[in-house]
Formats: sequence, structure tokens, C-alpha cells
Amino acid sequence: MKILAIDTSCDETAAAVTQDTKILSNVIWSQAAAHAKFGGVMPSLAKRMHEERIDWVVNRAIENGKCKMENLDCVAVTVGPGLSIALGVGVDKAKELAQKFNKKLIAVNHLEAHILSPLANLQITKSTNIKYPALGLVVSGGNTQLILIKKIGEYEILAQTADDALGEALDKGARMLGLGYPGGAILEKMAKLGDPKKYKLPVPIAGQENRKMFTYSGLKTAMNRLVESEKPLTKEKIYNLAATYQDVAFQHLIRIVRYCLIHNSSFKIHNLLVGGGVAANVELRKRLRKLGKEFGLSVHFPYSNKLTGDNAAMIAVAAFLNPKYVDPDKTDRDPQLKLSVI
Amino acid sequence: MATEAALTVLKNGGLVVYPTETLYGIGADATNSGAVKKLTEYKNRPFGKPYSIAVLDEKMAEKYVELNETAKNLYREFLPGPLTVISRGLHKVAPGVESEDGTLGIRIPDYKLVLNIVKKFGKPITSTSANASYKKRPYKISDILENISNKQKDLIDLIIDAGVLPPNDPSTVIDTTLDDPVTLRQGKIKLSVRDEILSKSEEATQNLAKELWQKYEKHKGKRAIVFAFQGEMGAGKTQFTKGLARAMGITDLVTSPTYALVNEYHGLTHIDAWRLEKSDELRALGFEDLIKNKSIISVEWAERVAETIREFDDEAIIIWVKIELGKKDNERKISWGVEE
Repeated sequence: MKILAIDTSCDETAAAVTQDTKILSNVIWSQAAAHAKFGGVMPSLAKRMHEERIDWVVNRAIENGKCKMENLDCVAVTVGPGLSIALGVGVDKAKELAQKFNKKLIAVNHLEAHILSPLANLQITKSTNIKYPALGLVVSGGNTQLILIKKIGEYEILAQTADDALGEALDKGARMLGLGYPGGAILEKMAKLGDPKKYKLPVPIAGQENRKMFTYSGLKTAMNRLVESEKPLTKEKIYNLAATYQDVAFQHLIRIVRYCLIHNSSFKIHNLLVGGGVAANVELRKRLRKLGKEFGLSVHFPYSNKLTGDNAAMIAVAAFLNPKYVDPDKTDRDPQLKLSVI
Repeated sequence: MATEAALTVLKNGGLVVYPTETLYGIGADATNSGAVKKLTEYKNRPFGKPYSIAVLDEKMAEKYVELNETAKNLYREFLPGPLTVISRGLHKVAPGVESEDGTLGIRIPDYKLVLNIVKKFGKPITSTSANASYKKRPYKISDILENISNKQKDLIDLIIDAGVLPPNDPSTVIDTTLDDPVTLRQGKIKLSVRDEILSKSEEATQNLAKELWQKYEKHKGKRAIVFAFQGEMGAGKTQFTKGLARAMGITDLVTSPTYALVNEYHGLTHIDAWRLEKSDELRALGFEDLIKNKSIISVEWAERVAETIREFDDEAIIIWVKIELGKKDNERKISWGVEE
């Protein structure tokens, strides 16, 4: 099945073309491609930018995918969750294309797409033999969620964000260190050069993993105090603070995932699917793989980092694996969409 | 030799492919609009997508961007190096180099040849990877040439070949404009009535949220109610909103709205203004309709959008809440008041 997918859930204007789970093109227009993903947003400008770029991005996706609108089977689009006025641009475009070319329209949940993103290019990733139930972990700027995938399309949330998502917490930590925003990527680089044992920060809800949530507000506060007490910051201090903060943030994540693995052992889970922007973090991958070994799990990440951040290829993959056909006349964005709704 | 050839090309508005410590870049005179147009044609992307520029040092950067404290620290600690630092532009470059909202990315490559060219040229050159948009990252010249059309090849005036570059990542990009003192300074808030307590636990903070809600609940349905929070990162603004939501009987899980900007709960709209660049951007999030519908709204980083919130002080009751960290770990100094 050939699918054109569109995602405008936040700052990126994205479109992609896929054949089943194989990605033929994946176009993302953020300042990130050439330049930067800006931390600051102007919602009115973001809307206008999406509107100005959507046609170019869609055409480029079709062109790069070496196909024609006429040859596609479906149009898929993110309907939520996301920034309302941004989502609207993609949804309107998808509806327009579906009607104009008489294609079926598929509504996709952005979160589900992150969960299923490791299943892109199944042939290449050799993850065709994944048995369900499996575990899904989304680590992005907007969400940290651990999900029991009973089968594709049937999910149960095991643990979720109580305040800040992991990606957001890392970005904010970087900002406290004067590394700008969003600084998750540079924090990772600095952390590599530092010693995580030079400082002490409290692991969030250590010993209370049964609360089954990801919480970073306390760590953020502790980091703020620590950074203030260490000022003026030197390069060395920044490396060590970054290393400590990232280490503790990951420790918390791993502890909660471990707890949920132990307490859901009756499901005989053998696979863990990890998606979202922070899935590109090498240190996190290392720790999740280690955890996987401990529990006899195969850990699957998206085959390319272009599928970790927001993108439309994962939307197409989710649309193929769990198609929810909708009537273009009755479809609208749903900014607060939850996982179980679609 | 390579430097001289590059200078000639740059002076004539041409394009130079050059090595850096990350990838092969393609340079054009960033102040020459003809050269930038040619580059955009080469990259095969529509006009309006920004380019970062390579400069010699901090001093040269200051001719093209406004450097705030955060930026200066980054320059001092990490440049030259594989880092692109975004600041507010001074509009001294050709159209299309700065972003639509007037910011500009600066790079100081840790690569002598490039610094030499920039130094002798006396002007910044564009610092974008030498591949066409959405093509392979170029670590060697053939990565570029094998992925572009003949027409694109014709646009390149000079290639400086340094062989295969080590497989380093592209430069990391950091935006420093959110830390602008200009945006942070706006909106000092003077209150006629002001209360203050020292909360010694999360529980005490949540109780205060409950008390505040009970005090203003009487306006519910008659006027919009806005809780406007100020407080640094990690102060507990989201925690306070959690307390408010609980007091209002909301059972939804209240999480940080930083990323999504707006979170809707049953009976409460939770907004984060941290990433909003201008006060009136609050309107784009539908603030006016929320006020008209007599909604209950919680706004974090309210000082950034104070002007716009204040415009609604007839239609809404606005409770300003300031949260500061106390001396001890769990302590918070919380003050609040209604602007009248």
C-alpha cells in the first residue's frame, strides 16, 4: 500500500511517502534540517509557516518518493496530539488532497506513530518476528510513556509523564547550564565528556517506583539549586553537571521501566520498541539494551535518526499498520488526543 | 593557494565547496544577495530557509548578531568548534540568510583554512552543508557530486578537496534568543493587594492552591479567572497548577505545558508562555476566546505575556502568583495578589 503522510503537529512541516513499511521519502522542514530547531515559537507565525511550506514539502515528498499523487492508495495525517493551530494546517491539506484525488483518508495518533516507528522498514530491521504483547516506550519532548502493546492498535499505558517529559527535562537542564534551548542534543555531547559521579542529584521517586510515573520536576529543582551553587561555571563543571543530570534522568527512566517489566512478567514480553526524539541518545540506547539483556528482551529503535524526532514517515508506517479510515468531511484535529481514542 | 582562489570566487559572488571539522560546506558571500540566490538555487530549496554563517571570532560575530550572556558564554567556552549559536540578527546580511523571525546562526569552524578565508575576505561566508537539500551528508567530494544534477554542478565555482573527512556529526545548533534580557525584562507587575507565605512542603503548597481557589471560586461562570504564574525553572509552577486542578475537582493528569504550549483539561486551560516570543502571541493560542467563554486559565511564565493578560483585566479576574525557591530544599516563598 502506497501512502502519503502529513504531520504538522508542532514546529516541523513534514510529509513522507511509504510503500507498506518501506520509506520512499521522508521530508522534514524544520530549521533543524539546515540550521536549527528553534526553541521559541510564535504560534501565529508557526501556522503561517506551515501554510507556506506545506505544498512544497508534500510535493517534495512525492517527488523524492518517485511517484505521483494518482498512484497513491491513501493519504494519512496526524490529527493529534499537538499544537491546535499547527495541526489544523496538515489536517486541512490532507482532507483537500484526499477529496481532490479521491483517496482514502487515514487519521493517525502522533503518539502511536512514535511507538510504531521502530517497525519502519521491517525487511531491513528484521523486526518482522516481533510477538505481541510487546512493550513500547516513547521518549520525546512532549511525552514519556511506557505502553503495553497487546497487539498493534490495542494499548495500555503502564507509566506516563507526571510533569515534564524526558526530552523537555533534558532541554531545560541544558538551559540551566547556559547551553541555550532546546539543548538536549548538546547536553548529550557535554555529558560524554563529564564524570557523572562528580556531583550528586536525587533520583526521582527512588524506592517508590510503584507510583509508575515519570517525574522530573524534583530533579529540575535540585539541578537548579546545584547549578546556582556551582556558579561561575567552567567548562569542566558544565561537563560534569551535564553528565550527572543526564545520568540521573536516565536512571529514573530505567528504574520505572524495570519495575513495570517485573510486574508485568505474566505477559511474557520479549520485545521493547523505543521511539521519540530522545531515542537518538546513544547513552540511553546503551542503558535500554543493557536492561533488555537482563530481561531477555530484544530492544528495537527506529532504523534512522530521521525517524526519532517528529516526522511524517512514522505517521505513514502507523497508518499502514493500524489504518483508521475516516470521512474527510467529518475529520478534525484533536489537540488533546489520547492513545486509546483512535 | 586554495585561500587565494577561494577569495577570488567569493568576491565575484561565486560558490566554494570547502572542508570543515564536521562536513564539507558550501560558502557564498553572506552579504551579497546575488551570491545567496545562487546558493539557494544550488541547494534546491525555496527562498526563506535560513543559512548559518561562518565568522572569524566573537568580535566579528557582534557585527552581525546581538550576543546576550548565554551566547557569550557559549562563544568563550566552546568556540571555535562544531557548534552553531543562534542569536538575534542585526540585519547586516543578504535577504534569506536570517530566519523569518530575524535570528541568525553563527559558526566559528575549528578549521584553519576556513578561518583564514574568512579573515582575509573580511566578511562572513555561508556555512551550510554542501549537499543539496535532503541528500547525503558530504564527507567526501564524491558524496556531493554523485547526488546532484549537472545544472547544480555548473553552479559550483570552486571545490577545495581535503579528501575524506572524519565521520563527525554536523554542528550542534543552540538557540540563545530565549534568554534575551529584552524578553525577560518585560512585564514587571505591581500589585495593590499582596499576600505572602513560606511553604515548607509540597503539601503546604497544594493547600495554598486550594485556599486560593476557594477564595476566587465565587467568580466562576461570571468572569474568566486567570492564575498568572511567575517563577524560575523548577520553582513549582506546574505543581501549583496541579494543586489548583485538584481543588477544582479535576481528575485529569496535569503535566507541563512547555512543549504543547496549551493543555486542555475539563474545566481548566493550562498555558505555558515560556516559548512565546511576543506578548500578543498569547492571542494566537485562543486566549481571547477563553476569556470570552469565562474560562479558568492557568498561565506559566506569565511575565512574558503580562501585557496581553492585562488587557483583559475588565473581563477577567487575574491572580498573579509568584513562586521563589526558599533557602531549604522544600521551601518555597509564594506571594500572590490581584491587580486592581
